[in-house]
Amino acid sequence: MTQNTGTGARPGVGPAGSEPASATPATPPPFDRPNAAVAAAQADAAPVKPPPPRLTWMGITHQWGTRVKPGKHGLRLGDLNVGIYGEVPAVWNDQTRNPRGAVARRGIPPVGYSIRDKADLWADCAADLYEEAIQRRWAPATDVPWATLASLPDDLEAAICQVATELSQYANVDVEAVTHWQHQMAYGYHEVKQFLATVSFDAARHLEAFRKRALANGGGLGLEGPGEVNRMILESRGGWTETVLYLFVLRGLFTQTMLRYLERYATCDAERAIYGNCLEDKARHLTYGVDHLWYSINHQPDQKLITQQLCIIGERVLVRELKDPVLREALSIVFAGGVARAASEGAAVYRKMMRDFVRRYLDVMKWLGVERTAMFPDELAQYLRND
Amino acid sequence: MATFPSTDWFDAVRKAFNADDAFHGAGGGACSTVMGAKIGRRQFLLTFEGLECSAAREVSEPDLATADFYLDMPYADWRAMIQNIAANGRADLHHTLNTLDLDRPEGLSRSIHGDQYREDLFFRYNQTMQFYFDASARVKTEFAE
Repeated sequence: MTQNTGTGARPGVGPAGSEPASATPATPPPFDRPNAAVAAAQADAAPVKPPPPRLTWMGITHQWGTRVKPGKHGLRLGDLNVGIYGEVPAVWNDQTRNPRGAVARRGIPPVGYSIRDKADLWADCAADLYEEAIQRRWAPATDVPWATLASLPDDLEAAICQVATELSQYANVDVEAVTHWQHQMAYGYHEVKQFLATVSFDAARHLEAFRKRALANGGGLGLEGPGEVNRMILESRGGWTETVLYLFVLRGLFTQTMLRYLERYATCDAERAIYGNCLEDKARHLTYGVDHLWYSINHQPDQKLITQQLCIIGERVLVRELKDPVLREALSIVFAGGVARAASEGAAVYRKMMRDFVRRYLDVMKWLGVERTAMFPDELAQYLRND
Repeated sequence: MATFPSTDWFDAVRKAFNADDAFHGAGGGACSTVMGAKIGRRQFLLTFEGLECSAAREVSEPDLATADFYLDMPYADWRAMIQNIAANGRADLHHTLNTLDLDRPEGLSRSIHGDQYREDLFFRYNQTMQFYFDASARVKTEFAE
């Protein structure tokens, strides 16, 4: 255990054995020494009267008398969208951090938001999802029954640790991708910015949970993933909508499907809790992603075709990454409960997992009206033929 | 003793679910959805509001269209799931809603409307739905068939 030596500690708050709180230090630190000049000035000067308040700011408002009442589920973020406060314009031209509905102050230097069109980030469900994320939060430290982890055969432990390694990488990419874009989003769409703050926190929690699983049962972190999809997500510069497609839909659905199968084949209650809770979080992220794509496609004339083109690019990168055998082999071992049956039983479950992923991905695209038969990679289509 | 399936049985589970804070913490929590259950030829709708399951009622088949999603499996499989929950205090890994959904070619969770947003509520609230059915371990159950 690291001992606090007391060096630099404030008087009275040091470790056991240091001076008690009431004792005066022999030599006060510099910031505690009285300033002689200030003391002299205070003694000579007449009492200073504070100027009378001008209160010129009082009464400056676009809308006063607002009384939002809590509903059955409390006072929620979306409930505040009343009167002018609920007017969400199609373009947010204000380049400052002026809260939506507040009176703009003149002369504020621009912040330089690059995402100012509602169609580039909006989802009607964002406020509700924000509330949901806050209310359904969980803590890996205390909400995962870590004591249920039990020793596993080396091959199975290694496989679980490898999967945890890659999932923790995915989560880190989630954090980086979201935060990269978040500060570029205009303040007027605060519901989306607030929801994305919860996504970052969810992802940080996932990183924490998978790292803890890898380090808590006699194993350790495994091999870094190939990272092609990670790079595609992080380097998607065409706009937030493009990142949403890759991060929340393509990768998000893949991860979500994997979590469902990992929960199915969990080796203990701790893993069941991790995968189950992460699954709910990822489902929430997907909901935003799909809702945003729907909004974007229905408010921008060319967006459906753009989304289709982006799908073609993204699917190919995913296929290339999936050619790396590490994750496939590790998952097969997890699903088979060991390496002995991984090539037969485990691989069959892996194929079923991939089939479910491809099916859901195509279902989402169909619902969005994005045509996905043209140039759909055969490497993904094959999983549907194995039905 | 409540008979499965019946509104009385779903109400009894509802009360057990609402009464225990352990079902509303991590993994659970506030949710807002209407879930259907299709059990043989009978259908039920369960309303979840905030931390509670606020209502359960038997409905006709077309009413399932109002559910965000509904769970559909043969009566024998429902019975096996509930018996498993009673025996273990909660569903084992072969009988969770997630597993039952993965193991069926058509899935366990379905919808009539095909709205992805509403269908995804099955995943967003998966633990809560699981906790609801796990609460049936506290209800003395007899089976209609």
